Amino acid sequence: MAEAVPERLSPLLSGVRSLALVGLAKNTGKTVTLAAILAEHAAGARTVGVTSIGRDGERRDVIDARIEKPSVRLQAGDLLASTGALLRASGLAHERIERTGVRTPLGEVVLARLSEAGAVEIAGPSAAADVRDLAERMLDLGAEQVLIDGAIDRRAASSPAVADGLVMATGAVLGEDIEDVVEMTRDAVDLARLPAARAHDGRHQPAREREEALTLDRMLVLEAEPRAIAALLREHPQACSLHIEGALSERFLEGLLAARRELAGRELRIVVADPTRVFLQRRGPRWYARQGIAIEARRTIGLRAITINPVAPQAHRFESRRLRESIAAAIPGVPVLDVLDSA
Amino acid sequence: MSADTPTAPRAPTAPGAPTAPTPPGAPTTPGARAVDLSRVRPYADHLDDGIVQLSFTLPVPYGLAARRAAQEWAAQMGFEHPEVVHYQELTAGYTHFVMFAESRQRVDYASLSEEGFDIEYMSEEQIEQFAAEHIGRPIVVVGAATGTDTHSVGIDAMLNLKGFHGHHGLEGYRAFETHNLGSQVPNSVLVARAIELDADAVLVSQTVTQQNLHVANLTELVEIVEAEGRRRQLILTCGGPRVSNELAKELGFDAGFSKGTYPHHVASFIVRELAARVESTTAAAAQGAGPWDVDAAEDVNG
Repeated sequence: MAEAVPERLSPLLSGVRSLALVGLAKNTGKTVTLAAILAEHAAGARTVGVTSIGRDGERRDVIDARIEKPSVRLQAGDLLASTGALLRASGLAHERIERTGVRTPLGEVVLARLSEAGAVEIAGPSAAADVRDLAERMLDLGAEQVLIDGAIDRRAASSPAVADGLVMATGAVLGEDIEDVVEMTRDAVDLARLPAARAHDGRHQPAREREEALTLDRMLVLEAEPRAIAALLREHPQACSLHIEGALSERFLEGLLAARRELAGRELRIVVADPTRVFLQRRGPRWYARQGIAIEARRTIGLRAITINPVAPQAHRFESRRLRESIAAAIPGVPVLDVLDSA
Repeated sequence: MSADTPTAPRAPTAPGAPTAPTPPGAPTTPGARAVDLSRVRPYADHLDDGIVQLSFTLPVPYGLAARRAAQEWAAQMGFEHPEVVHYQELTAGYTHFVMFAESRQRVDYASLSEEGFDIEYMSEEQIEQFAAEHIGRPIVVVGAATGTDTHSVGIDAMLNLKGFHGHHGLEGYRAFETHNLGSQVPNSVLVARAIELDADAVLVSQTVTQQNLHVANLTELVEIVEAEGRRRQLILTCGGPRVSNELAKELGFDAGFSKGTYPHHVASFIVRELAARVESTTAAAAQGAGPWDVDAAEDVNG
């Protein structure tokens, strides 16, 4: 315990080329975190590239207009992805480097370089593959680090195929009880930090039985029909490693647990491509591990820090230090910061 | 999205009749009263008069003081020459007003229409023709009210033959092959159907409230499509009473449709977006691998 928590984020992010910011819900403070990182980079005179899978720097919340949003301030020379209309609305001098051909509901995404410092709205590509291409392009054009801001609770852009670092934003908006906020944050962190799929080490299975690894049919996993899942387990009584190429939903995990007779006490490990392919709403990976289902990932995510917003807009608030300490106690190994309150 | 059209205050002559809109960027000739689309303001009696009609209620008793309060409020909003043309008591303590007022503000329409911000709506016949020319095969659309939403009325209005307000749904078009999965469909099941049917577009309806639950259900659909490696192929659209394009962008959808949407609006978007994707995929294939190569998505998609 009592690890020294740095007051600044940028030292935690050194070596990261493309950083994804992911919030656990709306209003957990992603954009405030982004603004803090940008301010630190500006102070260090580091050129950055910024994109958002949603929209950033808008004045008011898109669902609840009573909530004011922070502005995003960039420096001269910084690269950004936005639409022509939003760039123009900023009133800032800029150079349009190229049109990306990526169409969004707000218009086509333009890659630009600012000629002067100021606040601007960011709106880049939504699809993870487009985000990755754009980040590569920004790095080629001289960005020292690309910041990929998330939207609502979307995680796809934090895939290791897109980003090589992650900052998670959590906050009071998740629940009225601090314990609930801590537990939901811990589940989300467990998911982001799924262990790397390891070679079979014999711990899960007596050595005399031969382990069978199965690659599952995508339709079977998505549809998650309890009878089909039970039939699969019946047909493969030795199967202990289930490999899933696409999405793993909670329905499928529940289907596995429901097939008690077919499982007959067997422990399973499920291997997914990366943590962004797993969709859990009710239970965290820890709970499934206790039921004998371990979830592992072929590629893992580098979680660098957790930031907190102790305020739930239009509702309650916690004391920042208490929330930080509670989360840090439950989630060892990750620095927990409030970028607005380091006291 | 197409807003409900308010009744015109002073019945101006048919809009556009005296002055046909000039293409963006065209020079404006003051004598010809051409519209400068980069600086437009509201139109009532004549071009550029900036006159708008306001309709609102104040929680004050009917009377001359109420009338004066409405004028002061409009002046505070920045309107010039606010004029109350009608006011009446709604119920004790409430007065409803209709006002005309002038706005000096202008807006740059030209740049917005140039930047792909707009969906150009087509009629049913135009959509059929466009699809035949640019797509040349049935466009497969899968729709559902997802998650816990039991309201399928929105999705039915867009997809089913019957449609609404005399506009039939996508099922009635030759260009579309529609599959309406109904309500309370889990996201993973919807994605399974879309993959199985090799769908071009998915349309979901969802009532969005300030509760995180509803938006989380919409973002989950987008994320499952990403996890299945289909995001670039599949057009994702959502509709609901509070779904704007701004919200659609946050949610990760390609378009959002709100109140006032008719099936041909959704159809226009889908055929144009699909045609654009077919075009860019063909162009990318012709050029070979480049920085924006669509096939490079394979790595991301596992």
